[in-house]
Amino acid sequence: MSEAVDLAALNSEPYYLPLADEVELFRAAYDAKLPVLLKGPTGCGKTRFVEHMVWRLYREERSHETELDVPLITISCHEDLTATDLVGRFLLQGDETVWRDGPLTRAVRSGAICYLDEIVEARKDTTVLIHSLTDHRRLLPIDKTGELLLAHEDFLLVISYNPGYQSVLKDLKPSTRQRFVSLTFDYPDEEREATIIAVEAEVEMELARRLALIGAKVRNLREHGFEEGVSTRLLIYTASLVIQGIAARRAADIAIVNAVSDDATVQQAIADIVDVVLP
Amino acid sequence: MIELADVESPLTLFAEGIAGRYYHIKATSEFSSRRLTLSPEAAALSRDTIFVPATLDYPDSAAYRVLVLQQLGQQEFGTFDFSVSVAKEIIPQFATLAAPEAALRESDFEFFYRHVEHPRVLQRLFTCCERARIAACVVARYPGSKRHVEAYRKHLRSTLQMPPLETLSQLLEAFDRYADGLLADGDTASALFEYGKSELQGAAHPAATVYDTAGAALHIYDHWMQQLAMPLVTLDSGAEHDDETGGWLQREARLEDWEAELKELNTTLAVEMLDGSDVIAGNAENLQDGELRPPDVDIKALKNEHDNLARRLDMERSAIRDALGPVRPLARSYRYDEWDYTQHRYLRHWCRLYEEKLPSVVQASRAEFQRVVDANAPGVLRQLEQIKPLGYRRVSRVVDGDELDFNALIEARLDMRAGHSPDERVYSRKERIHRDVCAAFLVDLSASTDDPIEPPEPAPAIDPPQDGAVNLRDPYDDDVYNLAHDLSAESGRRRIIDVQRESMLVMSAVLEQLGDSYGIYGFSGYGRDCVEFFVVKEPDQSFTQATLDAIASMSPKRSTRMGPAIRHATRKLLASGNALKLLIILSDGFPQDCDYGPTRGDHEYGLQDTAKALQEAQVKGVESFCVTVDKSGHDYLKRMCPESRYLVIEEIEDLPQALSKVYQTLAGK
Repeated sequence: MSEAVDLAALNSEPYYLPLADEVELFRAAYDAKLPVLLKGPTGCGKTRFVEHMVWRLYREERSHETELDVPLITISCHEDLTATDLVGRFLLQGDETVWRDGPLTRAVRSGAICYLDEIVEARKDTTVLIHSLTDHRRLLPIDKTGELLLAHEDFLLVISYNPGYQSVLKDLKPSTRQRFVSLTFDYPDEEREATIIAVEAEVEMELARRLALIGAKVRNLREHGFEEGVSTRLLIYTASLVIQGIAARRAADIAIVNAVSDDATVQQAIADIVDVVLP
Repeated sequence: MIELADVESPLTLFAEGIAGRYYHIKATSEFSSRRLTLSPEAAALSRDTIFVPATLDYPDSAAYRVLVLQQLGQQEFGTFDFSVSVAKEIIPQFATLAAPEAALRESDFEFFYRHVEHPRVLQRLFTCCERARIAACVVARYPGSKRHVEAYRKHLRSTLQMPPLETLSQLLEAFDRYADGLLADGDTASALFEYGKSELQGAAHPAATVYDTAGAALHIYDHWMQQLAMPLVTLDSGAEHDDETGGWLQREARLEDWEAELKELNTTLAVEMLDGSDVIAGNAENLQDGELRPPDVDIKALKNEHDNLARRLDMERSAIRDALGPVRPLARSYRYDEWDYTQHRYLRHWCRLYEEKLPSVVQASRAEFQRVVDANAPGVLRQLEQIKPLGYRRVSRVVDGDELDFNALIEARLDMRAGHSPDERVYSRKERIHRDVCAAFLVDLSASTDDPIEPPEPAPAIDPPQDGAVNLRDPYDDDVYNLAHDLSAESGRRRIIDVQRESMLVMSAVLEQLGDSYGIYGFSGYGRDCVEFFVVKEPDQSFTQATLDAIASMSPKRSTRMGPAIRHATRKLLASGNALKLLIILSDGFPQDCDYGPTRGDHEYGLQDTAKALQEAQVKGVESFCVTVDKSGHDYLKRMCPESRYLVIEEIEDLPQALSKVYQTLAGK
């Protein structure tokens, strides 16, 4: 299979610093069986938030009820991802073809949370597939086997979507968007981002603050060939490299300057920002 | 030696990153003001521009970043937040001073200076202290800049001579240098100077505010004036000093407060009108600054207050524009080289091009749009149908796919039975057919597009404006001119611009159906320092009512400096990343501008530069095509581009069809 399927066991708590009331909202949506849409730029913590919530729901609070080995199935969508990749396909096995469930079908059967990351990247037929799963029917029709699968009561579909990303051609259709409750994410403010960097990379707060400031300043250049700005993830990478003994400027060079843009002028400007912010 | 032109692009981005908003970066020589002058070595900040010297006698571009940080620091660290009323509360020494009579529309800085006998002395002291404070704040917030600041200062120190301290102005000059870190401790042995230094050091730290520096400046002023045995030379006379830009900027910052206040008044007024409260003759005039309005607001007084404020705003705005030059806060600026065929070389960074969204001044009607499209689109669509449409196709024999490919499957089984190793490619897959095209339509919005299609009737000449306009060389920079042109539009004659607009509507409608990405831009301008590039629609924007309004708002403007516009459109196309990049230029005559060539009226220079710009585009992989409605176009177009690359339209009304034909030829390859 071509898609990256991340099977997370989630036995320890993934660190997540709530920015508002998203934790309570997600839990309420889960209890009410309402599918959730997470909007926000790349690397701002959407995936981490889902992992954290799955840990809370399946490992911390309801550990006595559920023994799911894989409570979270994450699928990173891409433009060649088809409905088949999600639902399943016939494979050749010896003299016969056998049906193999796709990741979405597995989640629907087992009662896991299925997280479709960057859903707009996937083909349009993929998004239509999830329509019947996301309304009161909670059904997944599997055309090829003729099965009409009723979702497990613990199943929840979570998708993420990046509004500013790419062109309007890749916008999410209203008919899809309106099936979800939307939680909007953005990069945290400087102080909280510094806390996150400090905790994740285990660096001193002073360095974390400097990196958070770089993040804020570089994001001011979002329009110049990179829509996203520098993600919290990249700032954490930088800090992690520093912990490994790489000089801060060099670490920022490879984790931020070169990673964010290929445009030489933009790279120069970001390098200049890094240069003045780091001591 | 480093030139601004070499570092302008990354420096502009650097400033945008630090400030969080766009600033033009310009050489001090580009500062145009009726009231103020900037010395070539000075740096200054205006509402939308950071001015820095055109060259620096220093080997590292970091010096420019130091200057930019220092200028932006004034915004970031609150220089312009200064208010006299707050200063009265915070600085005890200032509270004891008798307030002079408030002048009409002066900055809080100016009012502050006028509290003492020699305002210019206080001004110099204050700006010195404030610069030192900002420098300290910048280094604290951006510690990496410290080594650049120190290296640059060291370099400057080596080129400066210590002035003698015999007059007050020499003392102030030395103090200026000390504030900028250009004097080492111990360079002077004057008690007055030492007092100033200690006060300045007290105020120049990151935790200090603008009021601390104001307080320090007052202390130094008082001390110096009491102890001074030097002659007070002509300090209070002469032209306004560079530092004056600070005062104007503070007035500009205050303008925003007034605008907010006016908006609030508008809302209150609207609500009160709706409530239908009784009109009571005004008590609002008696309100003091900062005093709260009693809850029972009366409409008449409110209205008066609103009108006064609106008037005050207008006057202040025009005064500021006069002092700080014209602003283009919504535009981004770029510099482009120009080809000088007389010298056979490029003039580096010769033109400044402003890119901005075309303001939508016209509310376009959908029905009218539909009428134009219905009239033209069928023929155009027929032509474009020959271009392959978008869709999916099924690809068989692939390793991974949504369906099993039975032919491949059977062959695989046969192979297995025969003891061969089977081909694993037994699936089929639907694949999207991409048409990787981006087209840019560059529409000439020169004044001549206002000409009627029919032979012109004699019309009264429009005189260039006599005064009030900012660019005196620019006969188009005036509302009277534009108004006259708008009126001519209402007279019902069909003009070239009308056909150009309609062509753009038709092409939009058709390309939307075809699914190709396309951008629409207009260009005009006046002079090499003001080429205008208007964005009507970017390729990644969808076609909305706003696009329709923008197309309807395309109107005749000024000159036709084609070279920089083509270079900029090329840059945009390259950024689109599409495989096939098309540039279609729509014009109504040869390139011309007031300074496009050594002599006015010499078209050769413009032609050569445009030809060069088209060649550059070609080299970069952009396919260009010129369409002109000027019947004499053959004469010059054949010198600008190959014959297969231009089209002269005989009947202007045929433009939409002709355009689609061009598009089909270029994009249907």
